[in-house]
Amino acid sequence: MRDINTDKENTWCSGCGNFGILNAFKKSVAMMVEAGISLDDIVMTCGIGCHGKIFDYLNMSGMYGLHGRALASAQGIKLANPDLKVICFGGDGDSLGEGLEHTLFAAKRNMDITLILHNNGTYGLTTGQFSPLSPRGYKGLSTPKGSIETPFRPIPLLLEAGATFIARSYSARLDHLAHTIQRAVNHKGFSIVEVLQPCVTYYNTYSLYNKMVKELEIVPYNRNLALQLATAEEAFYIGVFLEETKPVYHEELYGSHNPAMDRKASAERVI
Amino acid sequence: MDERVFTITVGGRAGEGVKKAAQVIAHIFCAAGWNVCQADDYQSLIRGGHNFSTVSTSQTPVYCAHQNHDLLICFDQRSIDKHLKRLKDGALLFYNSDEAQCEQGIPIPMNSLMKKHYHGASNVSLAALAIFAALAGMTQEQLQEQIVQQYRRDIEENTAYAMEIYGMVSQRCDYGLDWSVNKPFHFVSGIQAIILGASKAGLDFFYGYPMTPASSLLHYAALKQESLNLFAIHAESELAAINMALGSAMAGCRTAVGSSGGGFALMQEGFSAAGMVEAPLLCILSSRPGPATGASTYTAQEDLFFALHQGHGEFGRVVASPDSNNRALSLSAELLALAWELQIPTILLTEKHLSEGMADIGMNHPELPEAKELPGTAGASYQRYAATPNGVSPLVFPGHKCAPDTVVKWTTLEHLENGVRSDSAADIKAMKDKRGIKAKAIQEACKRYQTTAEYGEGELLVFAYGSTVLELREAQKYSQRPFKIIAPIYLEPFPHEKLEQYRGKEVVVVEHSQSGLFAQFLKIKLDVQVKHLINKYDGRAFDPIELAKQIEELQDA
Ligand SMILES: Cc1ncc(C[n+]2csc(CCOP(=O)(O)OP(=O)(O)O)c2C)c(N)n1
Ligand code: SF4
Repeated sequence: MRDINTDKENTWCSGCGNFGILNAFKKSVAMMVEAGISLDDIVMTCGIGCHGKIFDYLNMSGMYGLHGRALASAQGIKLANPDLKVICFGGDGDSLGEGLEHTLFAAKRNMDITLILHNNGTYGLTTGQFSPLSPRGYKGLSTPKGSIETPFRPIPLLLEAGATFIARSYSARLDHLAHTIQRAVNHKGFSIVEVLQPCVTYYNTYSLYNKMVKELEIVPYNRNLALQLATAEEAFYIGVFLEETKPVYHEELYGSHNPAMDRKASAERVI
Repeated sequence: MDERVFTITVGGRAGEGVKKAAQVIAHIFCAAGWNVCQADDYQSLIRGGHNFSTVSTSQTPVYCAHQNHDLLICFDQRSIDKHLKRLKDGALLFYNSDEAQCEQGIPIPMNSLMKKHYHGASNVSLAALAIFAALAGMTQEQLQEQIVQQYRRDIEENTAYAMEIYGMVSQRCDYGLDWSVNKPFHFVSGIQAIILGASKAGLDFFYGYPMTPASSLLHYAALKQESLNLFAIHAESELAAINMALGSAMAGCRTAVGSSGGGFALMQEGFSAAGMVEAPLLCILSSRPGPATGASTYTAQEDLFFALHQGHGEFGRVVASPDSNNRALSLSAELLALAWELQIPTILLTEKHLSEGMADIGMNHPELPEAKELPGTAGASYQRYAATPNGVSPLVFPGHKCAPDTVVKWTTLEHLENGVRSDSAADIKAMKDKRGIKAKAIQEACKRYQTTAEYGEGELLVFAYGSTVLELREAQKYSQRPFKIIAPIYLEPFPHEKLEQYRGKEVVVVEHSQSGLFAQFLKIKLDVQVKHLINKYDGRAFDPIELAKQIEELQDA
């Protein structure tokens, strides 16, 4: 496999959970390539935020999209060329704030793509304002007295929306995260990996996560249990919560056709 | 040849098949080799209200629907009240006497007859067709044939109902229709022509979200998905639509998006993203009166500057507006081809009048351009934003089958040639310059196509664009005072090479905007002296005869 590093200077804060995600992703790419997927067929999109910088640190194809819109562009890529494995990196502000609609609809459509949700509970790049996943009481520049909103719970939200693979991992558990990403990408349908990602600068959750994170041994055998475990307070469970088979959008739309590869030239088009 | 224009109007409530009746009548004239325009006036409601559809037809060219009727068929009282004053001398009025009263005209008890002939759902639209058939001297067999072909369902009941009404009409109108002609025709709306043109140029995806009068882009593309080799995707919002379109373009598909003002406003950021990532993207803006939700089902030209300045930041684009349904077909193909040739977003600006106005675009279409990219060489040295003399970088698409060992990075942040982000001063300037020099290529490429049109001769110079040109061309036939219509089709880049001859001239401007946006635009571009601005901004098209009178009456022009 060719080198997928770039020479772009890394500007994440030292100790940022994004490093763990970058390293785990590289590892999962190596596993995918080993399993026979062409590196050229792995295409990423990402939104705007600290998470999005991962685009520049990977010498791989993709689109560095608009804030909140990366998952819409990811769907456009998949629809155009279903041979591609499309992976979207989103921040919690990006994918559950500005671009929430695209996240829910990608799940609703069971679009065959993967969302890696960098859950750092804050808007890192714009200096630590509260995010859709920040807890009540979170103090940031826009909520100096503490957030008065209750955060979303991404796993129940996406389960309800129709995602068919839902997992959680932790940026500090490299192997667990790499394997979870690989499983998510291999899943046929909309897959999401919520990654617990400490932001050392604005919301340092390392000691909390190190204490609370617990690995699930198996996929919960029903949705209720999955929800219970995903929202448990005694521990932050990581692992796969849901893995289901449902028809995927592009196959429902056009079967085994490939719009980008099977394009018809003007001469063959009759109007 | 007989130059008379006949105008036939059907009026009633929403849901009564007013538009359908007019369309069947329009088809009958088309098949007889006549020129036909159909305009539908409807409100934003599903049942009730007042709808009317008008067909203006002639053996000689006709460019837009007239507003005074030769034949008026009313299903309800409101239609009579609204249109009675617009009957021409010698015009015929038929009305539904179960619903309405009128001192003139011919009463037909359309409701009672429906009760008699239908068991389930009834269709008053057939009454209009039957009345027309009798007037035009169609035989019973010809009427039956239309019912079978055009209405498909409930044929027996429809036929029984129509035949009884047909028998009640003793009047005759000598249109002079030659039934033996049977001419093939392609009667389409402006929007349908846009989809057809784009499809021929290679369109693979249309992404949209319903908003009148642009919704039919989505509807028509969805309906014709198989035969036109494209996919129509109804996204969760306009934001989704344009960002999905960017993704599809990146993966190698020809894509278009479209909406009316409100939805187009939501696409602004995505439009800028297209400028930044250099995405080839056709964007269709079909205007209605604004601001905000405005008047959804009516026409306007108040988005001229909005289209010209769409998006934030500096980058090149093409904006053009078709002046006929035929032009909608060719322009749509041209704008998709230009988008791909230059890797820029292009805007086809139109308005409700043309979007939904129907005309026969004929069976022989002109040669249309194909949307093709400048192909790049795959491999490790490929750079998405490689500098080139004209600013257009070669394109390859991701995937091992398309471009093995190749990294293709499209980036909405300012970037280096390889697509990796940079905000160093030198890099920002270099990439802005790369995009900037495209301006010249854009200008040259547009010159390949017909960038302006002129119609008629006369001292008086009348400027218009879009479907206002159709209104003027029809008015030209009736004006005692000759005038020349000058119609820029391409608005950005402005076709100076064609229009410099009018610099500083005294001109008349006709448009559908309150503040005279097009007049302001022409002042900026050509420093013309706008002696008169004839502007209509009530959402309605001009009646060509009234427009002709307005031009005749202009003082010192
Ligand atoms: C339309 C738009 N609005 C706002 C911004 C500014 N902005 C950039 S990143 C960001 C939030 C980032 O938060 P998140 O998505 O959670 O990513 P993180 O930085 O935490 O990884 C915002 C508001 C933008 N780039 N575009
Ligand atoms: S601000 Fe937070 S999320 Fe951003 S780089 Fe620093 S630690 Fe990471």
